[in-house]
Amino acid sequence: MTPDRGDVVYGSLGLLVLKTLDAIGPMHGYRLARRIEQISGNQLVLNQGTLYPALLRLEQMDWVSSKWGQSDTGRRVKIYSLTKAGRKQLTREEAQWQRSAGIIARFFDIAEDTP
Amino acid sequence: MSRAERELDDEVAAHLAEAIDDYIARGLSPQDARYAALRDFGGVTQVKQVHREMRGCAFMNWLDFKLGARMLVKYPGLTLVGGIAMAFAICVGLVVFQILGLFVHPTLPLPQGDRLVEIRLMDLEVNDEEPQILHDYLHWRQSLRSITDVGAWRNSSLNLIDALGDSRPVAVAEMSVAGFKVSAGVPLMGRVLVEADEQPAAPAVAVIGHEIWRTRFGSDPNVIGRSVKFGNEDVTIVGVMREGYEFPVSHDVWMPLKTALLDQTPRSGPVVVAFGLLATGASMKTAQAELTTVGRQVAAQSPATHQRLEPLVRPFAMMTSPAGDPAGGLILYSVYVFTAALLVLVCGNVGLLLFARAASREADLVVRTALGASRGRIVAQMFAEALVLGGLAAVVGVIAADVALRYWGVGFLEANMGRLPFWFDLNLSPTAFAVAMLLTTAAAVVAGIMPAMKITRRMGDRLKQTTAGSGGLRFGGVWTVVIVAQVAATVIFPAVVYLMQFMRSGIEDFDAGFATEQYLAVQLERDYAVFGENTDAAALERNARLAGTLDELRRQVASQPGVAGVTFIGNVPTTGGPQKIVEMAYDLDLPQAHGAEPPFREATIGAVDPSYFEVLNAPVLAGRGFTAADAASGSRVAIVDQGFVDQILQGRNAVGQQVRFRYPGKAPRPWSAGNAADPPGLGDWYEIVGVVPELGLGAPTRKGRAAGLYIPATPNLFVQIQMMVHVPGGDPMTIAPQVREAAAAVDPSLRLVSLQRVNEVNNDVLWVTSLWVRITVVLSSVALLLSLAGIYAVLSFTVARRTREIGVRVALGASRRRVIAATFRRPLLQVTGGILVGTMIVFTAAILIRNTELAGFENELTLAGMAKIVGYGAIMLGVCMLACLVPTRRALGVEPTTALRTE
Repeated sequence: MTPDRGDVVYGSLGLLVLKTLDAIGPMHGYRLARRIEQISGNQLVLNQGTLYPALLRLEQMDWVSSKWGQSDTGRRVKIYSLTKAGRKQLTREEAQWQRSAGIIARFFDIAEDTP
Repeated sequence: MSRAERELDDEVAAHLAEAIDDYIARGLSPQDARYAALRDFGGVTQVKQVHREMRGCAFMNWLDFKLGARMLVKYPGLTLVGGIAMAFAICVGLVVFQILGLFVHPTLPLPQGDRLVEIRLMDLEVNDEEPQILHDYLHWRQSLRSITDVGAWRNSSLNLIDALGDSRPVAVAEMSVAGFKVSAGVPLMGRVLVEADEQPAAPAVAVIGHEIWRTRFGSDPNVIGRSVKFGNEDVTIVGVMREGYEFPVSHDVWMPLKTALLDQTPRSGPVVVAFGLLATGASMKTAQAELTTVGRQVAAQSPATHQRLEPLVRPFAMMTSPAGDPAGGLILYSVYVFTAALLVLVCGNVGLLLFARAASREADLVVRTALGASRGRIVAQMFAEALVLGGLAAVVGVIAADVALRYWGVGFLEANMGRLPFWFDLNLSPTAFAVAMLLTTAAAVVAGIMPAMKITRRMGDRLKQTTAGSGGLRFGGVWTVVIVAQVAATVIFPAVVYLMQFMRSGIEDFDAGFATEQYLAVQLERDYAVFGENTDAAALERNARLAGTLDELRRQVASQPGVAGVTFIGNVPTTGGPQKIVEMAYDLDLPQAHGAEPPFREATIGAVDPSYFEVLNAPVLAGRGFTAADAASGSRVAIVDQGFVDQILQGRNAVGQQVRFRYPGKAPRPWSAGNAADPPGLGDWYEIVGVVPELGLGAPTRKGRAAGLYIPATPNLFVQIQMMVHVPGGDPMTIAPQVREAAAAVDPSLRLVSLQRVNEVNNDVLWVTSLWVRITVVLSSVALLLSLAGIYAVLSFTVARRTREIGVRVALGASRRRVIAATFRRPLLQVTGGILVGTMIVFTAAILIRNTELAGFENELTLAGMAKIVGYGAIMLGVCMLACLVPTRRALGVEPTTALRTE
């Protein structure tokens, strides 16, 4: 599968952000975008700008918090981190996602002998 | 730039810089690195825009208004219908506010206007005002502390005769000197009245108003000191007031109130109105408290006259307000309720239209929600759209209200009230503009926020439903009520127009029974005893003199060329004479239960000069006409008209029958041709000596046919004197100048209050009725247009929403008829419900109206009338069904597979 821009459905970008912040810890916007791309094995190429409305929404939902800090290169950047509520939300969404994915997967596993 | 905006800029810049560094580290040239970073980021501007929109969710920004304006252009039909509706609502609201404001919270354009009060005396026994307060006024003037500068005035009307001999009545206020002080009256020339003028022996002086000075004296700069004739009296002009001064109400001339000459015993004397200024530190409440105390003291001193009298204080300008009496208050209240109901209905309708439009944009709204727009954001946007529409409508509405008030408001009020008080200002006030803005906002709230709230409810759920392929929006119960109310309104308004038109044609077509266009009606008034004493002997003497004057006037007018005859009557035909209860002699012969009331018979009385029927060329159908001897006092004869014969005598032979007046009730007020000695209770028997045709003794505004009873008398004894001049060949108005001249020559104090053709005496009523017809036509047209547009939009919307459902039904094999029935059921029920509600209201109102004074309306509630309403209802139903038909046809024509794919 070749990398395809805009492949990320908007609804799932939030989930990806939450999971990345949960796994790797606080980071700034560019680092976050790169991480998501790297974790996907560069299969997923973000329109990196779309990350910012998504981050704003997560902040408005109180799932993510932000504060100004410094990047590795010494630039003044906004650092995002997961909140307690965000962690809970992540658990919920993760479970739901696993369930949906499981159902879909069962369909792809259909064989002649499936009852 | 806001802080959030700056932070976003910084963040984006940092992001790009980090990316560029990354790419350079990976071996790209700075320029290529920059290009790659920008490509990865996507549109910087768009990202910022979305971010901005998401941040500013709770409030509106100018983009919303821009979008609103674009929507107006995109949907011209809705803009037109909705705009007209809102403009109409704002216009009606403003006009009502402005006119009712004159009565409910009038303001005096005087420096101390807010402190100026009127002091009245209420008779608690009859719950009415006691007009003879001169005695009390003098007492208040001496004793009151919380009200200063207490004064009074007395209305009178006098003939002002100028140097050319032109004699016309002017409105005179015999006013205390205090009046000029409290109203800050400054003369243009000369002086105002002073206390010395009020002395009994002081020479007669007058101050004239600017308008009189201009029109009657040609703005003569040397008018001061001139002696002019007011009636029979020579009066010296001592001052000219400035333009616009009409205090106390709408007066042209001011003369001193010589209270010393007037009767001052309690509850007697002339009618005066008392006024004063609230003292510094006093409020209405404290002034009323003091007045109540004073009233109790007087009641204790003179219980015979003042036991049930209570002095009351109220703001001066409230004297024209009907709010004081319960019936008037109720009318004002009902006008407010009616207007409010109209506004809600209109705005509800516009709301309906906006809702239908918003629903057609549902997909767009759902996408916006998905992109992060909050509910408040969408509601704010729809509110902004309604506000843009409302703003445009407000401009149109304000202009329309201004035009309406300018052209018809003054005429309407004058037709109802006569000359308007000086504080009646119909120009739109700043408050009115504030009200317009308030109304606009309110309209936008009803028309914008209500549907927005409805449409954005559970947007998240609908996100799923829409993608699943079915429209989630439904019109709920509130909208059903709105539709039903709309349809009901479309039934009610035409019925009102019909009724108004019916009244109008009733007045226009009223048959007086003689050639009214050939007669001139001249209303004559005797002078009040302004300068002389008011004793019975003097009154009798004046009455004798008046008889001579009228005789002479009749002779002089009759001798003019073109005049065929001159006669007198108490009330001009077609204006409605006084109605009195009569009793027939044969009633007494009827076997009656003990104490039973005799049959109720009401006749319309015409006090006429014996020459009346002759001058009207009216044939005597039976018996004889009046002779000069019949007018002599003590003669008890009467002539009845055919209406009397048919309705009261029920076809009996009239000549020779005996009739008398009956005065029921506690306080008998005998009918009188001027003779105050008429006994209360039962009157004398009158013998009917003749029958004449119906000669318009009733009025077109009265219910049914009049039963006319003519009593002969000499005109000097009439309560009101109308001289009728017959000019057979040509316009009777051409004789008016000669009549004026003759009257001035015979007696300068004889006032010609009005001169008009007899066929035009009802023009005032006709004008007001025509105005009402026009108003109701405009109202109804707008209501109809709106309702039809609203109903069409909603019905076609609801049907269009079901396209997919219809497709599925057809695909599943449902017959077309079943599908149509299922689709039409709900709209059909709503429209039928509306028609039923409207018809019920019309019939209820018709039954109520039937019992009031509406000529001939009882004949209109026939099968034909009902058929008209039913027919109209059918047309309405047809139009509404048409609204459903178009989208249903479209839906039925759609291939099931296509239907399933759409949405």
